[in-house]
Order: sequence, then C-alpha cells, then structure tokens
Amino acid sequence: MQLSLQGVVPIPLREKVSVGKSGMWNTSVSFNKGEYVFVQAPSGTGKTTLIHILYGLRKDHTGDVKWNNTSLNATDNEALAALRTNNISVIFQDMRLFPELTAWENIDIKRRLTNTVTEEEAKEWLNRLGLKDKKESAGSTLSYGEQQRVAIVRALVQPFEWLLMDEPFSHLDHANTQKAISLILEVVQKSNAGMILADLDENTYFPYTKTIVL
Amino acid sequence: MSDKTQMNMLKRLLMRTQHKSRLVAALLALCIGTTLLLLSVMIWWNFRELLYGKNQNDTLGSTFLIIGKRVTEQNMGVANATVFQPADIDSLKQAPQVQDVGVISSNHFPVYAMMGGKLPLATDLPLESVPDNFLDKMPEEWKWEPGSRSLPIIVSSQFLDIYNYVFAPSQGLPQLSETSVKSIALNLKVGEGDHSEVFLAHVVGFSDRIGSVLAPQSFIDYGNKTYGKPGATTAPSQLILKAKDPSDTKFADYLQRRDYATNSQNLRWSKIRAIVEVVTSATGILALLLMGIGTLVFILFIELTIAHAQHSLTLLLQIGYSPHYLSKFMISRFLPMVFGTVIVSMIITIIAQATAATVVKSQGLVLPIMPGWPVWAALAVSTAVLATLVTRSISGAIKR
Repeated sequence: MQLSLQGVVPIPLREKVSVGKSGMWNTSVSFNKGEYVFVQAPSGTGKTTLIHILYGLRKDHTGDVKWNNTSLNATDNEALAALRTNNISVIFQDMRLFPELTAWENIDIKRRLTNTVTEEEAKEWLNRLGLKDKKESAGSTLSYGEQQRVAIVRALVQPFEWLLMDEPFSHLDHANTQKAISLILEVVQKSNAGMILADLDENTYFPYTKTIVL
Repeated sequence: MSDKTQMNMLKRLLMRTQHKSRLVAALLALCIGTTLLLLSVMIWWNFRELLYGKNQNDTLGSTFLIIGKRVTEQNMGVANATVFQPADIDSLKQAPQVQDVGVISSNHFPVYAMMGGKLPLATDLPLESVPDNFLDKMPEEWKWEPGSRSLPIIVSSQFLDIYNYVFAPSQGLPQLSETSVKSIALNLKVGEGDHSEVFLAHVVGFSDRIGSVLAPQSFIDYGNKTYGKPGATTAPSQLILKAKDPSDTKFADYLQRRDYATNSQNLRWSKIRAIVEVVTSATGILALLLMGIGTLVFILFIELTIAHAQHSLTLLLQIGYSPHYLSKFMISRFLPMVFGTVIVSMIITIIAQATAATVVKSQGLVLPIMPGWPVWAALAVSTAVLATLVTRSISGAIKR
C-alpha cells in the first residue's frame, strides 16, 4: 500500500508552513510499502496533526492524502473504518484508552474486530511489555507508561500495512522502550508492513529507510 | 454481532445511563399509546363487524326496516295523506344508504280468521304482502295461485311471543312452540256474505322483520281484485326498505326530514354509532398523542444515551469500528425494547378482543375471538413507524 501526500498544509499551520521549508507540508511526497519513515518534528510543527491527517481524523487541510491512490477526502466513514481495521494502525500520543475498560479489554475490544491475533498471543505481548499483573486493572488507574504500553499492544493486534506512531515511547523508560521497540519491530516485520514514526528528536529506535524533517 | 464478550464490552461503553426511570417512563408511554391505538381500532372494527359483518347479528337491527308517513293532528283523516306516491318511492330509492325499496301491499278486502278445537279463536285479520326478496327466509311452501284452497302465511314472531307470554297464561291456554303453530290450520273467510271464499291457512314461517301477518303477493293481488272495496286506494301506506347501514346519521336525518316514522329501534344504532365514532376517534387521537410523546421521550432517551457515550463512541470509531457496526449494535439494543412494548400491547388487545367476544356472546351477538385485520394492520404500521424512527435516530446520532 502506497502513501502519497500532495500539497498538504494544515489550515491552522498555513502561515508557518509558507514561511519555513518542510519535507512533508506543501510538497509532493510518497512512501512505498515496507518503508520505515522517521518524521522529525520540532515542537509546534504539526507532528500530531500529520499523524491525524494520515489516519483520516482531520480534514482541515489543503492538498490531498492518498492511500493506494485513493484520496482520503473521497473516502466515506465506512471505507475509512475498513482502512483502520485492516490496513493502517496507530499509536496515539495521548494513548486514547477506554478508562472504564481493563488493560486487557482495551486490547481485546480491538483484537475482536478482526481476530487475526489470538488471545494467547496478545496476552503474551502484554507480558513482554511487563503488564502481566495489570491486565485486569482499569484503564483509568494505569500510569501513563502503562497506558502507553497497552496502546502499543492494541495497535499491534490487527492486520496492518502501515503503523503510524506519534511519540510512542514518550512515557517509557529505556528498558521498556527497548522491549516495545523489539515487539513492534517483530510484528511489523512479520506483517511486511511499513511504519511512520513522528517524534521530537532524532533517534535510532528503528532502522529507518527515510527521515523527513517536518 | 455474535461475539458475546465483545458485545458486553460495547454495552458497558455505550449503554451506560443514569436515567433508567426515563427509559421506563418512555416505554410505558409507548406501551399505553400503542395499546390505546390498537384498542380504538379494535372497538371501531368490532362495531363494524356487528353492523356489517358476515356473522348473523340480527338484533343489531337487520338492514330491513318498515317506514310509514307519520300520522299527525294535521293529516289525520285526510284521504291519501299518509300513502306513498310513486315520487316518494323514487326519492327513497336515491336516499342515503337505501339499497332497495319494497311496497307493502295490504288487503282491501275483509278477512275473517276462525280456529276450532281447543283454541276457539275468531277475529278480523289484516293481511299484508311484501316482495319475496324482503322476506327473512323464504319458506318452500311460499306460493299461492288462484284456485288453490291452501294459503301459506307468515306470522310476526312477536305475535307468538304475545300469545305465549301474555295471552295464553292469562286465559289458561296451552303455550305453543313454532312447530306446533305450523301444524295448526286456520279457516280464512275472504269477502262478505255470498261473495266470499274460505281458505285453509297454515303458518309456514315466522318473521322478525315484519310485524304483521303476511300472505303471498299473488293472494293479496287476487283478494284486492276480487273482493276489494271499489274505489279503495291502491297506493301503499307502508314501505319496506333495505338499508345498507340504518345507523347512518344521514339516513336517519333523511327520514326525519320527511317525517317518516319507523321502528326507532333500528335507528337507535345511529346514536350509538355516533357515540362509538366519537369515543374511538377521541381514543385514537389520544393514543396517537401518547404514542407521539412516548416516541419522542424514547428517542430523546436514545440520543441522551448516545451523548453520554460520545467519548467511547468516538474512540471506537477511531480504532476501526464502523458507524454501521455501531449503529447495528445500538439498534439491536433499543429495537427489542420497542418490540417488547408492542408485544405487550398486542397481548392486551388480544385479551380485550377475547373478552369482548365472550361478553357480547352472552347477548346473542357474534364477534371474532381474535382481533380483525385492521388491528394487525395498525400494529404493523405503528411498529414499522416506530422501528424506522428509532433506527434513523440512532444512525443519525452516530453519524453526527
């Protein structure tokens, strides 16, 4: 699945973009299947906005975003849901868990949409990220670090061709970051998927094939 | 929508509400509204069944009635003032609800009835005839030709009642069944003096419709021609009408305007019918109003539930749940509530119909034990409308 952006400028960032030079905004850029893209984005340059636009959450932009030559602007809600279920997965910066569900349920409610990952496998992933004893804890009682790890596992329990990540390890310590990187890489490779990771600072979390400064 | 665990999680996320009393109130209003609607249709339909149904509900006023011009102080004694002219008959044929008009011919010749044996009876007897198609039931022996000595007659069943319940007990005479009356022969002397004939009359049937003694038309015509008083009027003073709906107020008004007198029992249904129409209409309007309020409260409850779950709903859509899937889930939660109230209303209506059928049966009337098709139609339409409104409101709210 190819991703391409043509002349995309978020309306709120219009004035900033016209002044500076961005590798993503107001230009034509495309990414091929299996690419590992790192988007380095200093604060305020629209890192989260970019992830949301790619995921189809925001439409307040000029230009066009195309997944496999299909414009997101022309994609209806049902097709968008299918895209999010089968082709694109996301790790939100703000995690976005259901506070009333347990850690496990937050993962399971996503997993049961496609049932492509078994319950045992998903639980094993949670264990690998050190959440063995937190499975039954309510989302609202988890620390940010725990929530982030649950959000990571949730993003992996579906089929995807692209994994979008918005500061995925911002709340994790080094050890947990390494565990998460290892798990993500394993699943991404197994899925022959690509990834786009947006973060503030340069990093070597993954073997990136392309780096773009926002 | 088969994964129970998934359904439970979705239920916890989307169906939490602190306003269960509102839900109960909405469902109650819906149930009462639907029940009233079905009951008003049921009452309306039952009344129609009693009036026009295939079942025999004779006491509800057969569709035949006899009319005459009212005798007043002004027309009393005025010749031909109370007879029907051809123009009157033509006008009646065009009157509302009238399907057929029959002339009641009476005898203009003397008839004297005599009975011997244990029942010594001798009396002047008025005879009438009506066209055969106006008879309650046509007896097989109902024919007479000049030269025949045997004369079939039909007697008003009221006569037999008067004899059995009034005359016989007071005179110490035996009461008579219909069959025994049919076996009795009467000598009828027609004409006067030498210019007379005697016929052997026998009762071949009883009529609820006509309150006199009937003889075949051919006999009355023969008697009037042979023994009738010269110059006697031949215009009828009574007519028999076949009315589609004698309870129609337009028909009653027509008769009243022309000052025609009739058996008021036939027309009392017009008043009852008017009352039933008002009651069913008022109930129907009230029912629609209640249903409307119930539906509105129910839909507001749905929208409130969705608003409460807005955060979860948005997040579910963000992680890949489709609007269609979530709408289906919500609909599958709310529609059974609608169907539940409708089923309760239907059960109440079925019980009411069965009760109504039992109650009227004791009064000799027949009603079907199950509600008629209009009730089912009303049920289908109201359910379809409710289901559509609920489905649209859920889909609309989720899309928003």
